[in-house]
Amino acid sequence: MAIRVNPKLIDELETYGAADVQNCYHCGNCSATCPFSKEPFVIPRRSMRNLQMGLEEKLKGTFEPWLCYYCGECSQQCPRGAEPGETMMSLRRWLTSRYDLTGISRLFYRSWKAELAALILVSLVTMVAFLVMGFSLGHGSLGVYAGAGALFPDHLVHILDLALAGLLAAVLLTNSIRMWWLTTGRNRNLHISLWSYVKNVFLLPYHFLSQARYSQCEKKLPWLTHLAIFLSWVTMEVLVILLLERFHSPETVWAAHVFGYLATIGLLGGTIYAMVGRVRKRETHYKHTHPTDWMFLILIAGAAFTGIVQHASYRWLGLDSVANIAYLIHMMFVVPLLAVQIPFSKLSHLAYRPLAMYLATLHTDALAAQEPAVAQTEPVRLAA
Amino acid sequence: MEELKIGVFICNCGSNIAHHVDVDAVREAVEAKPGVAIARSYKYMCSNPGQDMIARDIREHQLNRVVVAACSPRMHEKTFRNACRNGGLNPYLCEMANIREQCSWVHSDQLAATEKAKALTNAAINRVRYHEPLESLTAEMCPATLVIGGGIAGLTAALELADAAHQVYLVERTATLGGNLARVDLTAPHLDSARDLLTERITRVRANSRITLMLNSELQSLAGYVGNYAAIIRTKNGSGEVQERKVDVGNVVVATGYQEFDAGRITHYGHGKLPNVVTSFEFEQMLRKGRIETRHGKLPQYAAIIHCVGSRNKEFHPYCSRVCCMTALKYAHELKSANPACYVSDIYVDMHAFGKGHEDFYKTTSEVKTLFLMFEKNERPVVRKAGPNDDCEMLIEVNETLSRERIEIPADLIILMVGMEARADSGEVARLVNISQDKEGWFMESHPKLDPVATTTDGIYIAGTCAAPKDIPDTVAQARAAAARILGKIAKGKIEIDGVFAEVNEDRCSGCRMCNELCPYSAIEFNDETRRSHVIPAACKACGACVAACPSGAIKGRHFTVEQLHAQIDGVLA
Amino acid sequence: MSFEPKIVGFLCNWCSYTGADLAGTSRIQYPPNIRVIRVMCSARIEPDFVLRALASGADGVLICGCHPGDCHYSEGNYKAMRRYPLLKRMLKDYGVDNDRVRLEWVSASEGQRFADIVTDMTERVRALGPLRIKTDLQTDMVER
Repeated sequence: MAIRVNPKLIDELETYGAADVQNCYHCGNCSATCPFSKEPFVIPRRSMRNLQMGLEEKLKGTFEPWLCYYCGECSQQCPRGAEPGETMMSLRRWLTSRYDLTGISRLFYRSWKAELAALILVSLVTMVAFLVMGFSLGHGSLGVYAGAGALFPDHLVHILDLALAGLLAAVLLTNSIRMWWLTTGRNRNLHISLWSYVKNVFLLPYHFLSQARYSQCEKKLPWLTHLAIFLSWVTMEVLVILLLERFHSPETVWAAHVFGYLATIGLLGGTIYAMVGRVRKRETHYKHTHPTDWMFLILIAGAAFTGIVQHASYRWLGLDSVANIAYLIHMMFVVPLLAVQIPFSKLSHLAYRPLAMYLATLHTDALAAQEPAVAQTEPVRLAA
Repeated sequence: MEELKIGVFICNCGSNIAHHVDVDAVREAVEAKPGVAIARSYKYMCSNPGQDMIARDIREHQLNRVVVAACSPRMHEKTFRNACRNGGLNPYLCEMANIREQCSWVHSDQLAATEKAKALTNAAINRVRYHEPLESLTAEMCPATLVIGGGIAGLTAALELADAAHQVYLVERTATLGGNLARVDLTAPHLDSARDLLTERITRVRANSRITLMLNSELQSLAGYVGNYAAIIRTKNGSGEVQERKVDVGNVVVATGYQEFDAGRITHYGHGKLPNVVTSFEFEQMLRKGRIETRHGKLPQYAAIIHCVGSRNKEFHPYCSRVCCMTALKYAHELKSANPACYVSDIYVDMHAFGKGHEDFYKTTSEVKTLFLMFEKNERPVVRKAGPNDDCEMLIEVNETLSRERIEIPADLIILMVGMEARADSGEVARLVNISQDKEGWFMESHPKLDPVATTTDGIYIAGTCAAPKDIPDTVAQARAAAARILGKIAKGKIEIDGVFAEVNEDRCSGCRMCNELCPYSAIEFNDETRRSHVIPAACKACGACVAACPSGAIKGRHFTVEQLHAQIDGVLA
Repeated sequence: MSFEPKIVGFLCNWCSYTGADLAGTSRIQYPPNIRVIRVMCSARIEPDFVLRALASGADGVLICGCHPGDCHYSEGNYKAMRRYPLLKRMLKDYGVDNDRVRLEWVSASEGQRFADIVTDMTERVRALGPLRIKTDLQTDMVER
């Protein structure tokens, strides 16, 4: 059965950041230089070809974009300036918008103003909700940061946290199932046993926590930077969810706080490094910046910064009202970051990437069993 | 016969000959032969010191014959004849023995190779005894030139010659000048107007008083030889009247061009059946009219261009037609600039971007978002009409090699890049001017690398696409090259005719006239008064057909006489 | 010691001689029994040459020209092609075996073909043994 070519898909991908994709004339230098390109995943050339020809269903069913970590070597080697690295990035954005069933993701990627508006809206709703919670429900006062009479009492914040977490988990789960369906579930030619699913399930938390594949890129610094930001963020989430009371107690619990400090340094340092990098554009993967990338970084940096202000105002300066205002602004950064970016935008990669690694192993094992010749093709790598 | 003093020079050619042939043994064997004054061997006989050695030895030893046992005479006959000339010896008193290409390089048995080398050298020594000093003849060179074909090649050649103040007769078959280029709108890769290119030429040709323009004319016959041709041109005027005119020319430039492949021969492309499948020339018509549209008058939303139609295929023509890839890119540009919303697919086999600016042109065509799809040249795409629910007129199905998928490409308009082929009447032209055609019908040049505009018939030159598919820069280069060669000849004033030709001994000639019809160059004439045949030396090409055929043995083939050949046969078997 | 035949080859300058040269440039090996004589065109070859070769000690004669249609002089090879059957008939009457005199077309690009023809012919003539009617031919031939 012949597949219909759809030349219109490229126009759509341009809004996701892909540019000059048609320049690619398939010399294959990109895949030759990519450290991850190996049958059955030919990165990035296969994705470039599927995109050029507009094979939408095929593209939706691939997860090669998630196996790429944008080291940028391919873009550097490309003799035609077809930017395969940025194309893979735009494909990640596009896939994110496809896994989402609501269509909101698509809207946000098409129009950064819509996403900005959504962020601002959620921010304002958060502000209103917290103010309502603080002043009417909790009967707190502005001058009390922690303990009894606090403006934003811990037990209420917990409820909000858990509710938000629950909602996001549900959305991510739905989207992940959709990703599984598009790439694996609906593929009649691939037979993956239940045992294969079970025995490889450890890969999910493993990749989630370590981003191990990223560490296999030739340049280690991007992986380390990302790991630092990620671990800092996870640390903060764990601390906030489990040890919120510790933060708000008058005594300094060093065991908890040292992690907090490290995490804050990690977050702030990492995001500032990334922002500076994107302004200077010296690294290949920093040359192209989509508005969603800026929003992501600014929100995290803002959250980290307001966290410091809270801490400093409460603990060192004793200015509870300032701390509370910082707390409010902090939530106005954090809630949109989580509520908008996790289900509909960039942060969703925290689910899709580990899932892609898991599925890649399942696919490879299944193919090895079905077509040993293809699975064993190992490209010859010359010594560097 | 005078006392013979033969100098034998045996070349080592480094180790090329010396490795398998015992050169010293050969030298010893020939030293003792009667008439051999000296026998030498040297590393590289063709080098300057080697040639000087021959010249010196001729003078010092008063040699009157020279034998060089070395590489093939096709390689260095001229070199050693020159060395003899430098030594004061007539160049035809030299003979070569091929002990490299036909001895040391093909026989690994040293003993056998050496014996053969001795035999071949011996044969050359035997033969050279019977060599005679031959002198070149001179004849007048008519400075007028006949140019056949009024396309860009013919126009360029004519102008080049006329600008150098020489008479040109430009013969064009149709009523207009410009040839195939006149059917084209823009040229690739710079998107210049073809009309501008041609108008400049045509205006200058018409204004030049030295160019006699003959439209609606064809060459009827061409007699004579280089420097002295008589051409008869037949012209048909508007009312069907035919006029014949005889012109005297010294040289001829054949610039008859090409014709395009008939796309209807590839049935599954649908040309002639589906209304929106057009050839490149039909598309050019649309471009010149300024409107790109389907047969139903609509702007095409999807356009597709298919390469290699009739080219690179054993079924039709095995060669590449050279210009179509860049022309296809030109069409992609023109489609996009006429309608930026049009989706253009370029369906190619390989992208031949060999010339100046071609790779850049390919890149800019990608940048305007042309989709390039590759197919294997023996698995051609199939075109069919689309269904009522499709948003396009036709669908092209093909195995796409870059993605390894079988795909369907939507198209409202399909442009077939038809290849070039030799004109149907090229055989007639070849016969008229006595040049050869290759297997595909293209006129053959004298040497594909070293002599691309001359032919093996002196005075006849070929330029442009009649010799092989090529683009405008190459066509113009060849036209100018042909003109330059002719100008060089005209500048010399006289032509030198090789001293090797056939001679009739009129005492022996019986007047049977068998030789008259045998000569492919019509170089033998019969004198009605003396009742004898004689050869026109300038026209004779020394093939020897008449020499072998003469029942009276009256014709002597200079430099290939019966004595010489018999001596050679005996020598080789001694 | 096996019999080593002597074969004389008449090659036309433009196609077959160039083809033989190509066999050389390509280092294609063939038996050393052949000795080549260059003529401009296969049309130059008189039956007399063939007879003289056989009379002077050749055990076989190979005539090579351009493929029909490709003759440098238009039609020379057609003339050789016409003379050849008559020559063969005459040689048969003299008792010369069919395989001893051979006409082949070799183009300038057919080095391998030339080598193959020479190899084949050498073996055939070797199998036939030496030619024994030289003296008969000598007395029959017209002296020039």
